[in-house]
Amino acid sequence: MSQINRIDGGLVDQTKPVSFTFNGQILKGYEGDTLASALLANNKHLVGRSFKYHRPRGIVTAGSQEPNAIMEIGHGAYQEPNTRATITKLYNGLEAKSQNHRGPLGFDFMAITDFFSPFLSAGFYYKTFMWPKAFWEKIYEPAIRHSAGLGTLSIESDPDTYDKGFRYCDILIIGAGATGLSAALTAAESGARVIVADEDFIMGGRLNSETNEIDGMSGTEWAKQTVAKLSAMDNVTLMADTTVFGAYDHGIYGAIENRDTEARADSKKPRQINWRIYAKRTILCAGATERAIAFGNNDRPGIMMASAVRTYLNRYAVATGQRVSVYTNNDDGWQTAKDLSDKGVNVVAVVDSRSIEPLMSIPGAEIFMGTDVTDTKGRRAIKSITLSNGKTINTDTLAVSGGWNPNLHLTCHHRGIPTWNEELATFVPDGSVPVGMSVAGRAKGTMVLADAIVEGHNEGASVASDLGFKTGSSKPATTPSVAYNVTARWGVPSGKNRAWVDYQNDVTAKDLKLANQEGFKSVEHVKRYTTLGMATDQGKTANVLAIGIMADNMNQTMEDTGTTIFRPPYNPVSMGAFAGRRRGMEFYPTRYTPSHNWSAEQNAVFVEVGMWYRSQWFPQPGETAWHESVDREVRQTRESVGICDVTTLGKIDIKGEDVSEFLNRLYVNAFAKVPVGKTRYGLMLREDGMAMDDGTTARLSENHFVMTTTTANAVSVYRHMQFCHQCLWPDLDVHMISVTEQYAQYAVAGPNSRKLLQKIVDPEHDISNEAFPYMGAGEISVCGGIPARLFRISFSGELAYEIAVPTRYGDSLIRILMEAGEEFNAIPYGTEALGAMRIEKGHAAGPELNGQTSAHDLGMGGMISHKKDFIGYKLGQREALLDSNRMQMVGFKPVLKENQERSGPSMAGAHLVNLRDKPNTFTDQGWISSSIYSPIFGHFIGLGYIKGGHSRKGETVRAVDLVRGQDIEVEIVSPHMYDPEGECLRV
Amino acid sequence: MSDYTMVKESPLGGVEHEYDGVTVSEVVDQSLVMVAMPNGKADEIEAAMNKSCGLSLPEMQQSTQSSDSQVTLWRLQKSQVLAYYAYDGDDAEANIAERFNAPSAYYTDQSDTWAMIRVSGERSREVLERICPIDLEPSVFTVGSVSRTIMEHIGTIIYRDGDDSYVLLTMRSFGRSMLHAIEVSVDNVL
Repeated sequence: MSQINRIDGGLVDQTKPVSFTFNGQILKGYEGDTLASALLANNKHLVGRSFKYHRPRGIVTAGSQEPNAIMEIGHGAYQEPNTRATITKLYNGLEAKSQNHRGPLGFDFMAITDFFSPFLSAGFYYKTFMWPKAFWEKIYEPAIRHSAGLGTLSIESDPDTYDKGFRYCDILIIGAGATGLSAALTAAESGARVIVADEDFIMGGRLNSETNEIDGMSGTEWAKQTVAKLSAMDNVTLMADTTVFGAYDHGIYGAIENRDTEARADSKKPRQINWRIYAKRTILCAGATERAIAFGNNDRPGIMMASAVRTYLNRYAVATGQRVSVYTNNDDGWQTAKDLSDKGVNVVAVVDSRSIEPLMSIPGAEIFMGTDVTDTKGRRAIKSITLSNGKTINTDTLAVSGGWNPNLHLTCHHRGIPTWNEELATFVPDGSVPVGMSVAGRAKGTMVLADAIVEGHNEGASVASDLGFKTGSSKPATTPSVAYNVTARWGVPSGKNRAWVDYQNDVTAKDLKLANQEGFKSVEHVKRYTTLGMATDQGKTANVLAIGIMADNMNQTMEDTGTTIFRPPYNPVSMGAFAGRRRGMEFYPTRYTPSHNWSAEQNAVFVEVGMWYRSQWFPQPGETAWHESVDREVRQTRESVGICDVTTLGKIDIKGEDVSEFLNRLYVNAFAKVPVGKTRYGLMLREDGMAMDDGTTARLSENHFVMTTTTANAVSVYRHMQFCHQCLWPDLDVHMISVTEQYAQYAVAGPNSRKLLQKIVDPEHDISNEAFPYMGAGEISVCGGIPARLFRISFSGELAYEIAVPTRYGDSLIRILMEAGEEFNAIPYGTEALGAMRIEKGHAAGPELNGQTSAHDLGMGGMISHKKDFIGYKLGQREALLDSNRMQMVGFKPVLKENQERSGPSMAGAHLVNLRDKPNTFTDQGWISSSIYSPIFGHFIGLGYIKGGHSRKGETVRAVDLVRGQDIEVEIVSPHMYDPEGECLRV
Repeated sequence: MSDYTMVKESPLGGVEHEYDGVTVSEVVDQSLVMVAMPNGKADEIEAAMNKSCGLSLPEMQQSTQSSDSQVTLWRLQKSQVLAYYAYDGDDAEANIAERFNAPSAYYTDQSDTWAMIRVSGERSREVLERICPIDLEPSVFTVGSVSRTIMEHIGTIIYRDGDDSYVLLTMRSFGRSMLHAIEVSVDNVL
């Protein structure tokens, strides 16, 4: 029979059935159900197996604190493990599978571990699997992982999408129960911008689970009307099904909005949104969580939290059993008995550990005061309980209440430590909450609903008023005051029976005792030794109970025992929600060069350089290997003309009366007297004297310079310059702005580069060798008046120019250059050919500028001006940095002919040792930093660092690559291997 | 007369997409010039701009408009303003210098530096709140407000040019990624 436990009423829509499966069995629930409530309606108490002992387990709670009812939901790539059935909204077609059993749920082969439990106490693995050591990784760990654990992953990429978002408010209210809604009303009435977030898909908190009356109507109805009122206000944003999982700095909160329903209807919609909420103030109204009591065999299916039994009864119209018993140490447990009885469910017993008068009479129920439950029976579902007075009672549901713990998790995210409240027998938030946060209602320890409503109402008004909003005169809602009295009850003496403290991790009271006996005194150590409070529920039902037991064991106070540190997230968050959209190609943005479209048309092979996409080489028909293309690009550039997009290099326009002085203070060499129309190479050091970046700076007019930086350092150099200007020399008249993207810039290199450019440069601009010599710079026009900048600079070592036009013409320029260059067989070249030519020419680049090299190391000591001060000058003069035996940059080439083949050893990554030394750390002389096959020389060449390199030219050493097993003799040469006199540059 | 004719191209090819409640379109008719003010010259420059165009210097993260509403100044740094105005010539730098007639300022053309995308429509804020970390509440980020922030790892200037209209500026090379980010937001929200 379907839904045998369903009764009338509740907040589910019993006219709208929903079909789902559990372990393949088709079941029905109603709209408004959670998976857990629908399972209970179908009398499915056994829903999983425990972590370690594979004990049968049932649903314990009705919220996010659920330790047992964690399932695999969905199938294929959509399958998600460890999903709490208690907060999974039921939908048509939901597929749920129980976890952690071999064979059927009802007969788990691994349940045999339960019989070995005397051997499997806390620390069992640590003590047992120590020998032989080598067995751990291969045998022990895989076996343990296979037998214990939670759900399984689909091992497929998550097909759902996730998003992020940003919201701001004056007041963030976390929790939309009676307190939160009361606070929201007064806060919103003041005109403050209010966000109310609640983890439940229906706002109202416990009101939806209880039978309270507020303002003459049911609590549920009051919540509904209040939510409607708030939702009509423009200054209020209501975020249901949204869990605030962390309190971060500066009033920033992380919140996950669950949009499963929307995502299922349209698979393109994000399943979850990770919101960053910026709040001026926050009122935490997160309520409280009921805890258990540790008694013998307290983990059987059918043993539930008393408040959960009430939730299923009142909200979901599910009577979890027909012979219900209640075990409590506080007044609230009695409410469960009353609600059940009022709804006609048979309550067989109320057991109260306190020796006081019964709170009320429950028709048909036996009442036991000053009595405990010490044992239970029933393998797959509870059948009976045994009391401390020896009496046995047959029952099919045991509702347990060990008292309530405020949900103070978020109050501790900035290292707040809760304080113990003896009267409430629980920890409550102390004053050290995150800045801007206040707490109200049960989260603060105000356990009486009537008081919590007033507190929320007042806190909403008070916080709004603090922020300068005018608060109204509305009165708080009223409800009859119901007392809450509790007497702590932690572990019940249960003889040989195990009493569970943490259901999810199978931690028992005995485990805690053993850990304490073995010297684990700190609650943090006990947590790690026993696994208490770990995994998806993070001990929400277990921790305070465990601390109570530990305090008893060690005969110390609760305060002295203390809590573990609370850290975000409050509830588990999907990794996908943290990634958001940033998956695959969207991991970070992509920057495209002005020639990108044209290059793609040429089938260029692209390479990621930082975020930039640059052409690496341009394969031509018939070229089968990348080096064929690169060798051709190098040769053809050196023989005629090649074109390369160099837009990615940083370009900074610097204007002002003091720019030359400013540059003088930045660069090692003199810039004060650079003439207009000239470019100068400059080297910049860090404050510590190490090379930071190099590049050229051209003077376009008296007060206007344009600097180039390397692609990699475009941002850091600009930042450095801004720092120098704003903080060190604000008096200088210097104004700078990045023009990296303002201009599309192309290197036009090779003996025919001038001839090519002369075809497009407007005739009024003379770019002959005489009129526009090496290192010339100027503002010109091309193609009939298009403004351009021309620099006669060369990275390749050839006669070369860099030409820049406004980026709007960037695509056009590459097409025109190629068209005009046809008669010279002009070719485009990519970053590989660029790299090959710069190594041939001996220009240092990223691998050489590694942050440990001084100007001297780079062979640029002679450039340093001693007539001025500049950044890095003083520290660069330190004795050790001037030591001639430092690692110095030189060139390398293989000595033996057999090592000079294209297929020979590349030297890349090799370390350098003297001819007769064994290669090791002590004999290490240096390393090869860049190496490439030079089509011009017909063998590999390298740049690298070797001790005292500048004075060792001509010496032979060995380049040893132990990883690839290469060991070749190389000659130390000048890094300037191609055209060392620079004749090509000046023709 | 040159043998070659250059063709200009906007960063995103003039893209325009209309959705239910939101329009995403490239701004192609505006120039942007950085106007740097030397130390102690701000008053002089403001007086000159005021005389020539009726412009005053905006407060930080705010904008002002010329008396003919053609030129908008954005203030994102103390010593400089950005002139945003309808012009698509290649000589925006010289053009704005002439309009302002404030010779002690330094002008640097930034028109080609940026891809400019307008997100407008009654649901524009819903779309933007998925990528924009600043507070876009209409009474906070008022019409005329301008701010520099980071969206989807991309440095972005956002300018509110109407009740439900925002212009997003990202460095030109990031334009496609930014457009994609906006379109994903549209797909996720609408």
